Amino acid sequence: MAISTARLSTPSSNQSVSVVRLIQNRVEQKMKRALPFIIIVVVLAAGITLAWSFLRSNAVAPAPPPAGNNAPGAAATANTPAASNTSEPGAEPAHALGNANAPVRLEEFGDFECPPCGMVHPVLKNLEAQYGPAKLRLVFREFPLVPAHVHALAAARAAEAAGLQGKFWEMHDLIYENQKAWHDAFDVRPIFEGYATTIGLDMDQFRRDQASEFVERRIFLDGKRGHAMGVQGTPTIFLNDRELPFETLAPDKLKAAIDAELAAHP
Amino acid sequence: MSETNPEANQLKPARRASLLYGIASIVSLVGLVDAIYLTVEHLSGRSVRCTLSGCSEVLSSPYASVRGVPLAGLGALAYFTVFSLATLAAFGYRALGKLLALVVGLMFLTTLWLLYLQAFVIGHFCQYCLLSALVTTTLTVLVIAATRASRTAAATQRG
Repeated sequence: MAISTARLSTPSSNQSVSVVRLIQNRVEQKMKRALPFIIIVVVLAAGITLAWSFLRSNAVAPAPPPAGNNAPGAAATANTPAASNTSEPGAEPAHALGNANAPVRLEEFGDFECPPCGMVHPVLKNLEAQYGPAKLRLVFREFPLVPAHVHALAAARAAEAAGLQGKFWEMHDLIYENQKAWHDAFDVRPIFEGYATTIGLDMDQFRRDQASEFVERRIFLDGKRGHAMGVQGTPTIFLNDRELPFETLAPDKLKAAIDAELAAHP
Repeated sequence: MSETNPEANQLKPARRASLLYGIASIVSLVGLVDAIYLTVEHLSGRSVRCTLSGCSEVLSSPYASVRGVPLAGLGALAYFTVFSLATLAAFGYRALGKLLALVVGLMFLTTLWLLYLQAFVIGHFCQYCLLSALVTTTLTVLVIAATRASRTAAATQRG
């Protein structure tokens, strides 16, 4: 200690101390100027991370509603044993066209925003017209690929909400047929509300249903069935519970598969 | 001691302004988180979990977006702007205080309009929107106080 104080008292070391202080001050000043910008950048990064984590938490299939919530029917179907070969029945009643006892049953797991699903839609519609309800039953299951498709869940909700007013297929067709029109929209709600008006839905009920836990539960149950059946992407189509390879979804191949099935079960 | 006291008094309004800008920047973070949450929920089409009843009515109303841009997204942008300006102002970039006052003033007017829509047009309130209204109102009060303090500080410095 004695040595260091002695050193400090010499004029030359006094000078060096003041130089050090000057440098320190300048560094501090610069730091002080930069600090708010650093804080802003940190907050920006935190904000982006937060948005990402909110999105990620949405990416998981919708959570089942808490006990005691108004989801009539959903609770009853949740633990019902399977009607088909999987343990997950999906949302019930399923959206289906054609007779329940038709020999051929095509079950599509679809995402309204996926372009191949949009391309398969007219093919299935043609088949439905060609074979008729006695031979062919079409079932649609919700399988929105969130978050890859940002509007897929909103589309599924809109279709399900229309379903609660008995117009699932009308909405399903409009959403698929106009896929290109809403695909790149930033906000799809007004567009889907437009479709709801077109098919004559009660708008107040439609808006309420879209956001309801009941609709969420239906989508969740369909997704659960899809996962249980090994669905990886969309569209995945099952012909009498047998998965059709993606390559066979071309019109002629699909028709051939149905004909083969009809021949096997006349 | 007697020499340093008046100097400290002279610095007081400036310090008060810094403090108020600092508080404003922290308060704006609450609004930012709120707005980010609503934007993500809006874009994912997911229903927002609310303890008040009117959330889905408000958030799925046509007023929830402006020409396809979700209002919550604009809110997030506005809160981030306020945060940045308030932080800079707190660290001595006082010239930005005027711009901050302008942005917050516009936000306050927007808030009044949105409260009117919720009360008289949609007929439902959503708690996230009310939180945002509270944050913006608090920011308005803070920024007015900070602007006054920094004006007083500038006047005393000149004097």
